[in-house]
Amino acid sequence: MLELILLSLGLSCVTGVLALVFGKAHAASKTIACVGGMISAALSFAGGVGALFAAPVYASWAGPLPFTNFTLLLNPLAGLLIAVIAALACMAWLYGLSYFDEYYDKGIGVIGFFMNLFIASMNLVILSDNAFWFLVFFELMSLTSYVLVIIDQTEKSLRGGFLYLIMAHIGFLMIACSFFVMATATGSLEFEAFRTTALAPGLGTVAFVLAFFGFGAKAGMVPFHSWLPQAHPAAPSNVSALMSGGMIKIGIFGICKVCFDLLGATGGEVAWGILVIIIGAISSVMGVVYALGEHDLKSLLAYHSVENIGIILLGVGTGIVGWTAGLPWLAAIGLLAGLYHVVNHAMFKGLLFLGAGSVLHATGTRNMEVLGGLARLMPVTAVCFLVGSLAISAIPPLNGFVSEWYTYQGLISAAMSGDILIRIVFAFAVVALAITGALAVTCFVKAFGVTFLARPRSEAAEQAHEVPLCMRVAMVILTLACVALGLCAAWVAPVIELIASSLLHAPLVPVSDGALLVSLDTVSVVSPLIMAVLMAVVIAVCVLVRNAANRKAGMKEDPATWACGYEADLSMETLASTVGAHVKNFMEPIYRIRFCVNRLGQMIASFVGKTLGTRSEAVVTGERPKSASRFDRDRLHGIAPAPQKAPALSESVLALVEDIGVWFGRLEGGDFRTYIVYIVGALVFFLALIILIR
Amino acid sequence: MLDYSLVNVLGACLIITSMTVVLARTGKAAAYLYSLQSLVLVGLLLSLGAVTGSPELFTWGATAFATKVILVPAILLFTLKKLDNNVEVDLPPKLNPMKSVALVAVEVFVCFVAVSGIDLPTAAAVKPTLAVSLAHFFIGLTCIVIQRSIFKQIFGYCLMENGSHVTLALLAPQAPELVEIGVATDAIFAVIILAVLVWRIAHYAHTLDADDLCELKG
Amino acid sequence: MSIIVAFLQAVLLVAIAPLISGIARNIRAKMHSRKGPSILQDYYDLAKLWKRCEVREGGSGLISRLMPPIYLGSFVLVAAGLPLIMQACPVPYLGDIITILYLMALPRFMFSLASIDSAGSYTAIGGVRELLVGVLVEPSLILVLFVMALAAGSTNVGVMAHAVASLEAYPFVAVVVAGIACAMACYIEMGKLPFDLAEAEQEIQEGPLAAYSGPSLAMLKLGVSVKQLVVASIFVAIFIPFGAAATTAPLDILLGFVLYIVKVLAVFLVAAVIENSVMRVRYKLLGRYTWFVVGIASLSLVFLVIGI
Repeated sequence: MLELILLSLGLSCVTGVLALVFGKAHAASKTIACVGGMISAALSFAGGVGALFAAPVYASWAGPLPFTNFTLLLNPLAGLLIAVIAALACMAWLYGLSYFDEYYDKGIGVIGFFMNLFIASMNLVILSDNAFWFLVFFELMSLTSYVLVIIDQTEKSLRGGFLYLIMAHIGFLMIACSFFVMATATGSLEFEAFRTTALAPGLGTVAFVLAFFGFGAKAGMVPFHSWLPQAHPAAPSNVSALMSGGMIKIGIFGICKVCFDLLGATGGEVAWGILVIIIGAISSVMGVVYALGEHDLKSLLAYHSVENIGIILLGVGTGIVGWTAGLPWLAAIGLLAGLYHVVNHAMFKGLLFLGAGSVLHATGTRNMEVLGGLARLMPVTAVCFLVGSLAISAIPPLNGFVSEWYTYQGLISAAMSGDILIRIVFAFAVVALAITGALAVTCFVKAFGVTFLARPRSEAAEQAHEVPLCMRVAMVILTLACVALGLCAAWVAPVIELIASSLLHAPLVPVSDGALLVSLDTVSVVSPLIMAVLMAVVIAVCVLVRNAANRKAGMKEDPATWACGYEADLSMETLASTVGAHVKNFMEPIYRIRFCVNRLGQMIASFVGKTLGTRSEAVVTGERPKSASRFDRDRLHGIAPAPQKAPALSESVLALVEDIGVWFGRLEGGDFRTYIVYIVGALVFFLALIILIR
Repeated sequence: MLDYSLVNVLGACLIITSMTVVLARTGKAAAYLYSLQSLVLVGLLLSLGAVTGSPELFTWGATAFATKVILVPAILLFTLKKLDNNVEVDLPPKLNPMKSVALVAVEVFVCFVAVSGIDLPTAAAVKPTLAVSLAHFFIGLTCIVIQRSIFKQIFGYCLMENGSHVTLALLAPQAPELVEIGVATDAIFAVIILAVLVWRIAHYAHTLDADDLCELKG
Repeated sequence: MSIIVAFLQAVLLVAIAPLISGIARNIRAKMHSRKGPSILQDYYDLAKLWKRCEVREGGSGLISRLMPPIYLGSFVLVAAGLPLIMQACPVPYLGDIITILYLMALPRFMFSLASIDSAGSYTAIGGVRELLVGVLVEPSLILVLFVMALAAGSTNVGVMAHAVASLEAYPFVAVVVAGIACAMACYIEMGKLPFDLAEAEQEIQEGPLAAYSGPSLAMLKLGVSVKQLVVASIFVAIFIPFGAAATTAPLDILLGFVLYIVKVLAVFLVAAVIENSVMRVRYKLLGRYTWFVVGIASLSLVFLVIGI
């Protein structure tokens, strides 16, 4: 299996170089890059799938220096990640065969070179079993993807790329520190040494927390998410699909690898799992809430990646809690949920980004406000996007539902066997997941409805056309994957469970029975396949009955929309901001948090900018909450709001000090009830102190 | 063991009733609900007496019935009648009442965590109730903090008082009647003094709004 | 046998949904001191609409066309899986709470999409409101069901119903408080006053109905009644399972059936009384009421955790 993957890596490199060499001959360069990339992806897909069922393969070559032994390990977990990324890469290349036509004058050779290198470096990060090479490839992955982000050379993409580069390096630094901690304890950079040496408990926690935040920055979890919605949309759409669907999963892979594998001998603590759960819950809610405020189709999808990373972390966190609390079945089901969602998210997020790319290709804009009515003009894209939207909203029987179902079962099982703290934390996680689910439905009604339904709101949308064959085929294949991963879940879940068990060195847990998905601990079953059949039957009966009645009574078509007696015009249609504004009313505090966080981010960015001697870059994603809920007519006409400039460092510090002053002023209000609150606070503090001391 | 669980269930009812006292829109409703809460308290004292077999608790229950179920609400209702038409009593609370429910839930949880850290031989089986009694202290404070009407703030005091009553009964069921008399008179006199104060303030300032009354200082 | 029960209760719910909403209308009329329509009025309405010619709006497409069957079909499927007549789920793989909640998201998704599809602002606002109600109610509903899952030891509604019916659901007070919170959440979800007035299509939540006519409108109206009944039935199934058949003996099932009708009628009676004794609130205030439900649900969680 390893040979197949190495072959594919070699092919990627050769293809990349060839694409660069033929860069001047646009069409040839594109074809070489795409076809070569597809073959290479197919090879590594075969290798990855093969590794799922095979024993781990270990290979090592001596390096020039003692610590640079080039060691590779292909175990089932690595196989899964490689297979997922390869599947996505294959579709991205297929899609690129037509999509890259637009990039002829933007350096198609460079894109082909870096995209091939990017995919190869992702595979190598997954395979590396030596800290030195792991970090080298990790860095290579960041740099190649950075080039792909700034390929448009617009101010927006440069800004997003800069932020991405900073965040990627913060993450890199933390991961390096974590490996350094483990390396000093073991005296080697080989992962094999980490794996077999037990660290002191405190040291293990330090290593885990560093690695968690480092990989978390790469995965785009809150509070390191700000780069994601700026960097991902800036890249070409199929690269965005690859980044959102594939690259951020490397972060999840890293967390799993460090926790279960590298620190396997050390053993973990339940607190790790709780940390992961809390961050996951916050990420999922924040991600979807911010997605609701977006009008840019690709930014919206990028924010949803933050949400889905949160959901994956909930599964992985459950796994960690189960693993550390000595409940192997819980660990297995949690990890199963997380890994299943990794696969699913790659499929539907890839699909949705490709769909967004098709919209961009057909209309030249990503602004949902000026689209509309595309379903009639681009039926294939619309159906694919609809299936993707349903899948990401976890509507049964599609794949998103299956992994969220396992996540819920994991969370509830953990709460059943846990103590007070666990119960409260997991209740919080369950509620967060429910809010996320409901908001995701809202958000995708908005994304799909405003973009594809009603009537076109601009000339560009009126003149849209269905995209070329290659792009359609890529989307249809991913759509089928979403449907298949949902309907055939009962046969996919055991395979992923196998990976989870092999990672945990735990006995297998039955997770499916025939066509049923089973959760033993919560005594519950569900069957997406049977459900799909029943749904199809019931809905078909309803349709037939209704249509029979229609045939009998006749049917007319009235071109005008009934608008309460007025003549319907385009300004009456629902815009993305309409949907967003309603929900924003109820979510105001969360948007306010973002404003504060952004200001902090601005301060950091301007500080970094000054120290590096570059021009201070404005890093603003959000707007002031006041203007956020306003009905913004300018956007309808495509007038972008003037870019906000970040205040200078001195100004931001001044503003911060002023804020603190106002805040302290409020503390000293003179109202006796305020003092009572202090008394209560002090009481709670001392109660907590007593408990802690005990 | 069923008996201890009865005590715990009554403890839960205590929380629910005190929450309704905090949430009550009008002073009158709050007074009646407080009476109901005290009734639950009496029930708790009696059931605790039956479980632990301490006859003192039955006398406690009787005095509590006389003072808290009848006398204190009567005093409050009487004050309310005196105040009638003179000033606005039913001022809306500062915090959205719906959110205060969540706040109460958090308080109960914090108290439970606090109590679970303490090991007392007498209170092992009734730890939830102990947590409830401790939580009443916080609920009372919550009531004082979120209510603008100083009349309703009296109920905050009363709730705290009930909490201490339950704590005492749980931790020292064999305490002599003297202690009980102290508790009971304490409640009565404090409420009388507070009621008189409220009446006088209403008489002079023509308002019961704590925010307005803050202007009086200095 | 249980498959037959599942089929039976799905058909039953569809058949009696108009009757129940007719009764609710009648009660309202009685409380207004009016004579009110016949309790069979909803059947007459549906029959009349069924024979009408359907007019399709110019802007709308396939989504609008498919929405009424999906809306009705999804709720029928949910109805088939609930432990209404028996204490166990007749179809176990439809009886998981997570499945039920997410299955109910499908009609909401399509309903809102159709409202945007018809290209009028009036319909779309209704669709958005529907989504909003979902966002606000879902957290408290899932918290209640989480408490019940822990109290009964399963996420299967049938197991929960059995645990409550045999009084085995452990922390007693927590279950009762959860029941109160669930009742409130279900009430909001049913779309009645003070939050909405689901039976009058001029109201905003029903805005999307404005774009429909003929058999599609009939199917959608039926779907809305079935939804109300299903939501009420979820509450009845989990928290008032008393009297539901413990075995599949025909007599037990008959008794369970009769009792189920009685329970649902009682729930709707209470709902109708509440509905007619409150005034309408602006939907922006909806958040306050759902906060209250979240508060009560979290109180039940605290009771569960401390074990009383």
